Amino acid sequence: MSDTAAAHEAPTSTGIDHKKLIMWLFLASDCMFFGTLISTHLLYRKLFPAGFTDAEGHQRFIQQLFSIELTSFSTFILLMSSFLMALAVSAMHKGQLKSFRRNVLGVIFFGLIFLGCQVYEFTHFYHQGLTIQNSVLGSTFYVLTGTHGTHVAIGVLWLILMYFYSFTGKLRGHMGALDVEVAGLYWHFVDIVWIIIFTAVYLVEYLGPYGIWGSGLPAAVK
Amino acid sequence: MSHDSHHAPVACKTELAPERSDLGLIRPDRSTGLIDWLTTVDHKKIGILYGAFAMFYFLVGGVEALAIRTQLARPDNDFVTARMYNQLFTMHGTTMIFLGVMPLSAAFFNFLVPLQIGARDVAFPRLNAFSLWTFVFGAFVLNASWFFEFAHLAGWFNSFEWHKALVYTDFAPANGWFSYAPLSGTFGQNGQALRFTGVGTDFWIIGIQVLGIASLAASFNFICTIINMRAKGMTMMRLPVFTWMTLVTAILIILAFPAITVALIELMFDRTFGANFFNPSAGGQPVLWQHLFWIFGHPEVYILVLPAMGIVSEVLPTFSGKSLFGYPIIVFSGAVIGFLGFAVWSHHMFTTGLGPVPTAAFSLLTMAIAVPTGVKIFNWLGTIWGGRVRFTPPMVLALGFIWMFMCGGFSGVMHSAAPADSQQQDSYFVIAHFHYVLLGGVLLGLMAGLYFWFPKIFGRMPNAPIAYIASGLVILGFNVAFGPMHYLGLAGQPRRTHTYHAGNGWEQWNYVATIGAYILGIGVALAFVNLVWTAFRGKKCSNDPWDGRTLEWSLPSPVPEYNFAQAPIVATRDAFFEDKHGSKRIGSEPDGGEAGVHMPSQSWMPLVASAGFLFIGFGMPMMAMHVPHAGWLVIGGLGVLFLGIWLWALEGPGGYMLKTPVKRGAPVPTETVAH
Repeated sequence: MSDTAAAHEAPTSTGIDHKKLIMWLFLASDCMFFGTLISTHLLYRKLFPAGFTDAEGHQRFIQQLFSIELTSFSTFILLMSSFLMALAVSAMHKGQLKSFRRNVLGVIFFGLIFLGCQVYEFTHFYHQGLTIQNSVLGSTFYVLTGTHGTHVAIGVLWLILMYFYSFTGKLRGHMGALDVEVAGLYWHFVDIVWIIIFTAVYLVEYLGPYGIWGSGLPAAVK
Repeated sequence: MSHDSHHAPVACKTELAPERSDLGLIRPDRSTGLIDWLTTVDHKKIGILYGAFAMFYFLVGGVEALAIRTQLARPDNDFVTARMYNQLFTMHGTTMIFLGVMPLSAAFFNFLVPLQIGARDVAFPRLNAFSLWTFVFGAFVLNASWFFEFAHLAGWFNSFEWHKALVYTDFAPANGWFSYAPLSGTFGQNGQALRFTGVGTDFWIIGIQVLGIASLAASFNFICTIINMRAKGMTMMRLPVFTWMTLVTAILIILAFPAITVALIELMFDRTFGANFFNPSAGGQPVLWQHLFWIFGHPEVYILVLPAMGIVSEVLPTFSGKSLFGYPIIVFSGAVIGFLGFAVWSHHMFTTGLGPVPTAAFSLLTMAIAVPTGVKIFNWLGTIWGGRVRFTPPMVLALGFIWMFMCGGFSGVMHSAAPADSQQQDSYFVIAHFHYVLLGGVLLGLMAGLYFWFPKIFGRMPNAPIAYIASGLVILGFNVAFGPMHYLGLAGQPRRTHTYHAGNGWEQWNYVATIGAYILGIGVALAFVNLVWTAFRGKKCSNDPWDGRTLEWSLPSPVPEYNFAQAPIVATRDAFFEDKHGSKRIGSEPDGGEAGVHMPSQSWMPLVASAGFLFIGFGMPMMAMHVPHAGWLVIGGLGVLFLGIWLWALEGPGGYMLKTPVKRGAPVPTETVAH
């Protein structure tokens, strides 16, 4: 995955390193990827605003399932992990390997907390009756947030490998800093995508007729 | 096929101990033989492999096409069953688009782009090898469905317990190349995931998914290469037009493929895990599949045609003895086509009932996209105008391209009128239109490219009389096959229908079309035989047999593995032509002196990583078939993929130094460089 023709070759035409450029290109592509998933979800939310029917045949609203406190917490944790990632990149540029390791461990830890919250959320929703199979809402919600979770998990794995690699002494100099920076770009992107998902999938649900400023959920299902 | 067999050896690897990775694995170090072809990171060898696989699949897709035409030659024919007919047109379309045209374009990207921009390789040589092998395995998975189909028909699976659980048994895909939901999807409540079609659809889903990964990886690599690895003085507006069209195509791929990737994931979840994305019984909207598919599918049309336009834009100036007329305009119109290509997808869906406003908007935009295309045609005509035209096989094919592509363009504009399109939808008129674009346009363009650059690739000249006969047969056969389909379509013959009754007035022209298809088949086969024979036995030719204009012609044929002994410095467009006939010379950067030039090391890891897709590719359809423990095959495949990438990262790019001749193109005696 990390590979250039000749690390020590002449500077590139644009002055941007190959690795950094290809990561930006990948992220451009990933924008379209998440764009398509988010569009699918929003489209179906507009078509079926009323939620889903659980195993007992009760009409359920997604606002009843959401725990906005928990999701806000995990969003905050992911944001803070980006902060630590920025510190890790900065440490690497200064050649401070110990500081890099400390910060990257923090990113990994926060990433794992986020994933833990998602696992908890998925299990909780599942027990509340929302499954991938019983409604379109379940399909779009689990596949969209699950795809994002997979991105986070890949990022965590990448950083874990990088953490251990730093002990071989080969993660150093300009190329080492570049490798970390590229991983950082990926991490920040995944974080930004979550901000969009948090807004589009969670927060807007509280704006509609069933939200905090609307008339609330129908009395029958409260 | 080492270049050493044609030229005095000009370079020698440094005598170093075998390279070892961190884990002690020795890297492959061969310049000939099977191991070399499996582990190569040389863009030229990768290009040749892409080309060889593409030509093979062209023949597979061609045989499928001839079977279709044989079935339709007579009314009420029973040459194949209705189901087999569905599988044939599905695999014909899929094969030609994803395994024929795209990889053949990729072959040109690989071989030419680094040479045209004055680079020694692509930005990520091992990623390039990964793209190739991922394509090869994806293509294999897709076509393996035929073997399952025939094994099933022969009754080999009857003794397996899981086989009895299969309600529908088509193993080869049978949904059409666009696999419209709900036919490709599921129905039923609460994850029953009842299907209309058999496991062939699952093969199709995973096969296209893997091919998409190959295309994406290659496109990231090529954008990076073109933007970042240009020789000194090679500004963007001095890039050869073929390289420009490669750049636009690659950008289209990275922005269009995610849509189909997501659509395929959603369909896969529907079929394998009982999700409801396109399940009408649970509220899923099958029309969403059409939108997602065509948001990818329409840019895909330009992904197919832009490289051919790039090739023609190189061939015409060379044989007209003039520079390309209106270079900036042709580049700009290529970019506009790429941009507008994202805004016209719904013209494939006029009959779905979008409503008047979107229909009008997509109609207008579709008409608008004809403008930059027309601009290009006039640029090509302007290039030929007043030129000293030399007729050679590539030139004849390029002129055929202009003429035939224009016919396809005219019937294309007819489709942009929504009311007319509603009548033409799903009729043979549409088949006629897109075969004029894809065969008359893309195939003729790619054949022109093959005849044009073959002397550069192999240092051998294809036999011209045979090339003329083959080109003539292709153009004749293609018009006889697809010309009548305009009429058949307007006379009401529907697409994707395995037969028709006598008495509709379709018999005669269907028979003619079948004859044309066979002429076309003979022509393409003759051209390929001619080319393959040339690669091994053809007459040797000079390094610049056509009086070429761009940098690749300044190099020896076949091109040595380091491409440029000294990196060139470019002062103008058509740099090599100016160097020969004008006042501006190609400069050269000082080389590494005694050290030579740095070359990337070969590697097994791209092949290992992409082999993971082979397991995933067979595991996913087996999971959908409820074969016990099939999930482990998928997990194992992911494991192989991860292992390959991990070892790949650990081994690093590596590299060795290669001694090159002192002056451009001049051979020097063999010598081993001391390190």
